[in-house]
Amino acid sequence: MTPNPTGPIADLRYRNYDGKLLPPNQMWWVIARQSIAQALKKKSLWFLMAASGWYYIIMIIILFFVEQNAAGSEMAKVAMEQFLEGIVWKDQFLNGFVFAQLSLLLVTLMIGSGTIANDNRANALLVYLSKPCSKLDYLVGKWIGVFLPLFVLLGTPTLLFYVYGALTFSQYGFISADPWILPKMVVVVAISAAIHSSLIVGVSSLFNQGRLAGATYAGIYFLSNFFTVLMSFFFQFSKGKAPDAVQYLTYASIDGIQTGIAKAILNTKGSPPFGFMPRNPATPIPAPNLTVALLLTGLVCAVALFAAWRRVRAVEVIG
Amino acid sequence: MRYGSFTALNQFSCEIPEGSTGLLGPNGAGKTTLIKTLLGFVRPETGAGEVFGLDITKGERRLRQLIGLMPEQDCHIPGMSGVGFVAFAGELAGMPAADALRRAHEVLEYCGLGEARYRNVETYSTGMKQRIKLAQALVHGPKLLLLDEPTNGLDPAGREDMLDLVRTVSHGGGLSVLVSSHVLPDIERVCDRVIVVMKGQLRAAGTIAELKKLAGHPVDVELKELNPAFNRALIEDGMTVLPGARTTIRVQANASPAEIHLRVQRIARTTKTQVRGFRVAERSLEEAFLEVLQA
Repeated sequence: MTPNPTGPIADLRYRNYDGKLLPPNQMWWVIARQSIAQALKKKSLWFLMAASGWYYIIMIIILFFVEQNAAGSEMAKVAMEQFLEGIVWKDQFLNGFVFAQLSLLLVTLMIGSGTIANDNRANALLVYLSKPCSKLDYLVGKWIGVFLPLFVLLGTPTLLFYVYGALTFSQYGFISADPWILPKMVVVVAISAAIHSSLIVGVSSLFNQGRLAGATYAGIYFLSNFFTVLMSFFFQFSKGKAPDAVQYLTYASIDGIQTGIAKAILNTKGSPPFGFMPRNPATPIPAPNLTVALLLTGLVCAVALFAAWRRVRAVEVIG
Repeated sequence: MRYGSFTALNQFSCEIPEGSTGLLGPNGAGKTTLIKTLLGFVRPETGAGEVFGLDITKGERRLRQLIGLMPEQDCHIPGMSGVGFVAFAGELAGMPAADALRRAHEVLEYCGLGEARYRNVETYSTGMKQRIKLAQALVHGPKLLLLDEPTNGLDPAGREDMLDLVRTVSHGGGLSVLVSSHVLPDIERVCDRVIVVMKGQLRAAGTIAELKKLAGHPVDVELKELNPAFNRALIEDGMTVLPGARTTIRVQANASPAEIHLRVQRIARTTKTQVRGFRVAERSLEEAFLEVLQA
């Protein structure tokens, strides 16, 4: 076919779209996908994701060298067995989870603080809600857009450590000590990601600027954390004889409640990191009642999400 | 439609045919409320309404698949490029991702943002932001396009471009366009029909030509120079003569414009008056609008 040399190179006249329109049922997933895609563009997110597993990485390195060393002599093998006997495997998961909390907070701030606040600033709700997308779709999409990266951030190093441990140390009770450790950790990680997602979505909806929302969330996080650290000191000072209220108040922060729920689900009080046994170990704080902890946390998250539900609207309605 | 004690729209029923329809009314008349109600942004306490046969009080999603909104205020999704934003708007409307991206390129090209499509929307000028708002409203091929003050904040050249865009989209594009604006010349330039709203009620609806038409078919007769003898002869012939601008007089009689034309020609010949123009008199849109509001 010979191209027409005098014809236009492109027909720029307006033509209306008459192609396929999918039933508007899963708009939340479109929003979540876009939120995640935008989050993944941030290079520092990848760094923080890698950094979140630092405890597991160091633990793997220690275990690797202990195991390699043991191959050299019988004495070293005995020493390795003594070392491994002192290790409570599920506590390593607990420690890995606890030491990832700072990274988790930073990632939450990075991807969550502007999730609704920036939309408020740019009037983006008019775009979302003028399309066949409901307020529920919007909030669920934004929530999933924060939840999934956090879940992956916490879950990936946990899974890697589990695979390494299961392949290398199963004869030392890695699996038999608690066969349900992996599903339990999935639940712990999911609850933790859900708490952060719900709270940051709620806080973000109250502001028109992501920075302000982030500063507020970080403020709540660190102030409540400071309070629980004080309570922990008080608990240690009383040699574990403090009233039950003090014991529970050590979990009264965003960070603390996650640790408490993790302890309750893993059924442990925790032990020092890397299997080291200090001469004067701190008195372990018992896990809180799981049902009460979940109910209270669920209530706080529900309040945050309700605030978001009230705030998200395309227009101000005349009362 | 009532919100609390405030009646926003009362016994309001109108038809928006294919082409472009202007939505006129003073501040607080209910124009924006009408747009918001059509989209289900505000849920009325009482009342009912239908668009394309779908109930607007139920906030049906299918309805919003058929409507495109270009809001008055700036709106975009932060952190996205122009093409990313428009494609995402398409996906939100239910387009498959590949179709949405292809269509986003088409629409941006059409709206004059082809060169700037990969720039972050937040770096766009006011005119470009207006254009991308139009692009995101058009991307999914709506059957009804709602434009709220489309020329807001635009310089004269940008305003001309935007009006051209709206005019070409609304004529031959197979969609109905409702343009809400305070700028009557813009409405006159772009629209064929108007709807006048006041206090939540429909005051007038019809073509602009009908709205501008004066009662009694008066005609404007333009003369080379004013001639009192000509005026007297017209009056003797049973016509009413009113002074117009410069050498124009407005003639009214109980007859059709064609009959008046013949009678005026005859009298002009007898009084030796040179007639240079003859046209059916009409009001400006502004006069018509004010009269409808005062009625």
